Amino acid sequence: MSSTTSLGRPFTAAGFRRGFIAALPFIISNGIAGAVMGVAYRGLGLGFGASVLFSTVVYSATAQAVTLGLWALPPPVAAMMLACAATNARYLVMSAHLRQLFPDMPRRLMLPILLILGDASWLMTVAEAEKGRRDAGYLLGSSVPMAIGWIGGTALGYATPLTPHGPVAIAAAFLPLAFIASLLPTQWRGTRSLLPWAVAAVVGVAVAGTLGQSWAMLIGGGVGTLVSAVRGDDA
Amino acid sequence: MPDWTIYAAILGVGLAAYAMRAGGFLAVGAMPQTGLVPRLLRLAPGNLFVAFAAAGILEGGWPSLIGCAAAVAAMAVTKKEWAALAAGFAAAAIAAALL
Repeated sequence: MSSTTSLGRPFTAAGFRRGFIAALPFIISNGIAGAVMGVAYRGLGLGFGASVLFSTVVYSATAQAVTLGLWALPPPVAAMMLACAATNARYLVMSAHLRQLFPDMPRRLMLPILLILGDASWLMTVAEAEKGRRDAGYLLGSSVPMAIGWIGGTALGYATPLTPHGPVAIAAAFLPLAFIASLLPTQWRGTRSLLPWAVAAVVGVAVAGTLGQSWAMLIGGGVGTLVSAVRGDDA
Repeated sequence: MPDWTIYAAILGVGLAAYAMRAGGFLAVGAMPQTGLVPRLLRLAPGNLFVAFAAAGILEGGWPSLIGCAAAVAAMAVTKKEWAALAAGFAAAAIAAALL
């Protein structure tokens, strides 16, 4: 049971172990980013419990960063929910892809796993499947260290009197973007990626200057995807 | 401001986040399994990430651009995300200090 194939079981303990070990470095990397978020929440005047709850139930650096900027008393709940949905709309695509990858995975098992679905664990799982090792255990296993790092980091950052400033603060704020940037090589499909990616980047930048970063990702990424599709690309 | 209002707001945002995570998984059952929709789903992630990165670089300036370049290069060479994150963080910090 060391691996599964497209015809094998959709969830294995071996896959969980493999994913958990592969994602162990994320305890540190997510921990650092989570600590920065904890410091930011403390600076906002949020309580410890509320800060940890934020990182637990929202569990998204980008969505939390966006809602952090909207935070006020009383909280603008509708605006924050919309911003969160717009920022995380990419997860619709990711989880739809997971349904195609794991059509035989019971919902009662997959829906709880999706609580801690992350960009990186999704990509790692898809990459595993492309190597012939389709396994939702790998998805859960790789997601757990990331969640431990992010949530634990938020708690530690809140509790520790850290006050990042100067270049370190700038680099820390850059970390969510670094996560996405580091995933780009896994999506590169050779020179045929050039045109749609260039279009996605240009439209993204144009939209960011007018509608904001959340919409930039959705609209820029959407237009780039359409360029690929119209041209006849398949993956 | 009572605490329950704050917790309710956080849970509301959490609900929106989970709706995105679970929504695609639940809704794709109503979508065709072959044809344009699954093709778009395969094509979308890279394009979404590129647009996100481009907008982030626009906002973050040179440190973000240099950090992204370092992260992408490190990932392409090592295939290790932790190495890419470390390289990106270090490059962004150095760029922020120098520029």
